Amino acid sequence: MQSGAAMLFLLVTVLWTAVLWWVAARAGAAAPYERVSPVIGRIRRLGTPAVVVVLGIAFVVSLAFLPYASSRAARLGEPTVHVEVTGRMWAWELSQTRIPRGQVVEFRVTAADVNHGFGVFSPDGRLVTQVQAMPGYTNRLLYRFDEPGVYTIRCLEFCATGHHLMQAQFTVE
Amino acid sequence: MAPVRTNGEQLQRSVDQAALVYLLTGFAVFLLMGLLGLAMRLQHAGWLDLGPRWFYRIMTLHGAGMVAGVLLASLGGVSAVIAPRIGLSPRLLWSAYVVYFLGSGLVVLATLVGGFAAGWTTTYPLPVRGDWPVSATWGFLFGYTLVAVAFLLWCLAVLLGARRRFGSLANALAWPVLFRRPASGERPLPTGPELIATVVALDGVIAVLAGVVYLVPIFAQLLGLVSGFDVLFAKNMLFLFGHTLVNLNIYVAVALVYATLGAYTGRSFKMSFPVALAFNLVIVLVLLPYFHHLYQDFAQPLPLHLLGQFGSYAVGVPAFFVTIIGSLGLLYGSQVRWSAPVIFVLAGLWGWTIGGVAAVIDGTIAVNNVMHNTLWVPAHFHSYYLFGAAGFTWAYLFHRLSGVEGWARSVAARRLAWLYAIGAGGFVLAFFFSGLQSVPRRYAVHLAEWQGLAQIAVPFVLLLVVAFAGLLLMVVRSVPAAWRLPAIEPAADD
Repeated sequence: MQSGAAMLFLLVTVLWTAVLWWVAARAGAAAPYERVSPVIGRIRRLGTPAVVVVLGIAFVVSLAFLPYASSRAARLGEPTVHVEVTGRMWAWELSQTRIPRGQVVEFRVTAADVNHGFGVFSPDGRLVTQVQAMPGYTNRLLYRFDEPGVYTIRCLEFCATGHHLMQAQFTVE
Repeated sequence: MAPVRTNGEQLQRSVDQAALVYLLTGFAVFLLMGLLGLAMRLQHAGWLDLGPRWFYRIMTLHGAGMVAGVLLASLGGVSAVIAPRIGLSPRLLWSAYVVYFLGSGLVVLATLVGGFAAGWTTTYPLPVRGDWPVSATWGFLFGYTLVAVAFLLWCLAVLLGARRRFGSLANALAWPVLFRRPASGERPLPTGPELIATVVALDGVIAVLAGVVYLVPIFAQLLGLVSGFDVLFAKNMLFLFGHTLVNLNIYVAVALVYATLGAYTGRSFKMSFPVALAFNLVIVLVLLPYFHHLYQDFAQPLPLHLLGQFGSYAVGVPAFFVTIIGSLGLLYGSQVRWSAPVIFVLAGLWGWTIGGVAAVIDGTIAVNNVMHNTLWVPAHFHSYYLFGAAGFTWAYLFHRLSGVEGWARSVAARRLAWLYAIGAGGFVLAFFFSGLQSVPRRYAVHLAEWQGLAQIAVPFVLLLVVAFAGLLLMVVRSVPAAWRLPAIEPAADD
C-alpha cells in the first residue's frame, strides 16, 4: 500500500513541479490575457469533470479495501483467533502474544485511560494495520498475518510523556 | 504640513495599522515557533536531547503557536484588504488583538511554565489525565477559549459588515452571479477577497461553536460537575473545530493571493460564476473532511467515514480549478515583475497542491489505515501550511511593506525567497518519505533507522532559518515607513 502511495505521490509531484516550472519560465514573456483567459476556461471546463470522474472511480474502487471488521471478514473470512487488547499509559496488555500464521485474527481493542493508537508494525518495520484504542469503546480489528516473525505494536495516538515508549510485541508462527 | 484626512481615511489608516500589527505579530510568532520546530527535527535527527517532557511541551506549543500566529497574521492582512468597502471597526480589531494576545500568552505559560503537553489538538480525555498540574490544563484551555473568542469577534464583524455593505448575505456570497440574476437594488457585488472573508466568517462561527461544545464539558469536568463524557463525541467536536479552523486559515490566505498577485502581473481575478460557485461550495465542503481524523475510530458509524472520504476528495477540486489554475493564468505571459511576494505565491501554489494530493491519498480510508499518525500527516499539513497559509500571508506582508517596486524586488530578497522555497520543499519531502517509511508522528525519540531522513531535513530547515533571518531584516527596516503610509491599494477584482 505504501509503495503505491509513494509512486502516485512522486508522479504527481514531478508533473506538478514541471507544470509550475513551465508557467514560471513563460511568466516573463508577453501573452495577451485575452488569449490566456479562454485557455484557463477550457482547462476548468474539461479538467473539472475529468478529475471528478477519476476521484469517483478511486472512491468506488477503494470501498473494496475498507479496514473495518465487516469488510475484512467478507474478504478474509470470520476470525478464528481472538486477542483482547487494552492500552493504558504507557503499556499494552494482550491476552496472548503468539498468533498462528495464515489465520484471521480479531483484536478487540480498548483503552483504560486516554486514547491510544494500536499500530501493528511488521518485522521489517512497516505499518501493516492500525485501530484506535478508545476509553469506553471496543474496536474490532481483523487481520491475517501471512509472514512469520516478531511484530511490534506501537502507540500511534499521542498520549503524553511515555507515548514513544508504549510498545509491545507478539510473534506470528 | 501633515495632510488633512477625512474621517473615512483616518478609519482606514487605523485599520491598516491594526492589520500591520496583526501581520508583524504573526510573523514574529511564526519565526519563534519555527525555531521550536528546528529543535524538534534536531532531536529526531539524534543531534539534540531535550528529553521527552520538554519535547512534548515544545511540540504542543509549536502546533498551537503556529496555528494562532499564522491565523492572526492572515486575518490582519484580509482585514486591511476588505476594510475599505466592508468597513471593519479599528476598535474591534484592536479589542480582538488584545484578547488574542492574552489567550496566546496563557498558552505559552501553560506549556513552558505549567508543563501542559497534550499536543495542540488536546484530544479528550488527555487534557484532564495528563501528568501535569490541573492549573496548566486550565491555562491552556482558557487560552484557547480567548483565541477562539477573538476569532469569533472577527467573524461576526465581517458578517455584519458584509451584510451592511451588500444588503444581504446572499449578495455578500455573490449569489446574483451564482444564479445569474441581477443584484438586488444598487448594491455592489463582492470582490474575491470579500467573498472569501464572508465564507470564512460563516464557517468560522460554526467551528467556534464546535469548539465551545468541546471545551464546556471539559471545564465542567475540571470543576467536578461531571465525571466525564463520550470520547467519540468529543473527538468529533474537536476536529470539527480544529481541522476546520486550520482549513479556513488557508482560505483566508487565498484571499491574500487575490489581493497580491494582480499587482505584479497587471491582471486581476474577476468575480465570475466559477469563483462564486467554488467558494459557495467551500462553505459546505470545508466542514466535511475532518471526519478523516476519525477513520481509525472504528466505532464511528460507517456513513460518517464515507462522508469524510467524500469531503476529503471534493474540497480540493474547487480551490484547484479556480484559485490555483486561475493564478497560473494570471502569471502566464504577464511579463511579471519577479519579486519575493511572487516567488512566495508560486511556491505556495506548489506546496498547497502537493499537500492537497497527499491529503487525498491519506483521505482514502484504505490507505489511511497504514498512513494515519505517521509522519505523512505532518508532511501534508506542513506542505499547505508552510507553503500555503503562511507563504501566501508572508507574500502579502512583503507586498504591504515593499510595494511593487520596493525592496521585495531586490536581488537579495528574491534569492532569499528562492532559498525559502528550496528549504521548505526539502523539509516537507523529508517528512513525506518518513511517512512512507512508517515513522510514527509525535515521537520524542526516533529509532536509529528513522533518523536518516530527519538528518537530511535539518539542513533544509537551516536554509529556512537563513531565508527568514534575511527577510526579517528587510521587514524590520521597512516597518516605520509602512506605519506612516496607508496600505497599498489592493488590486481591484470586480
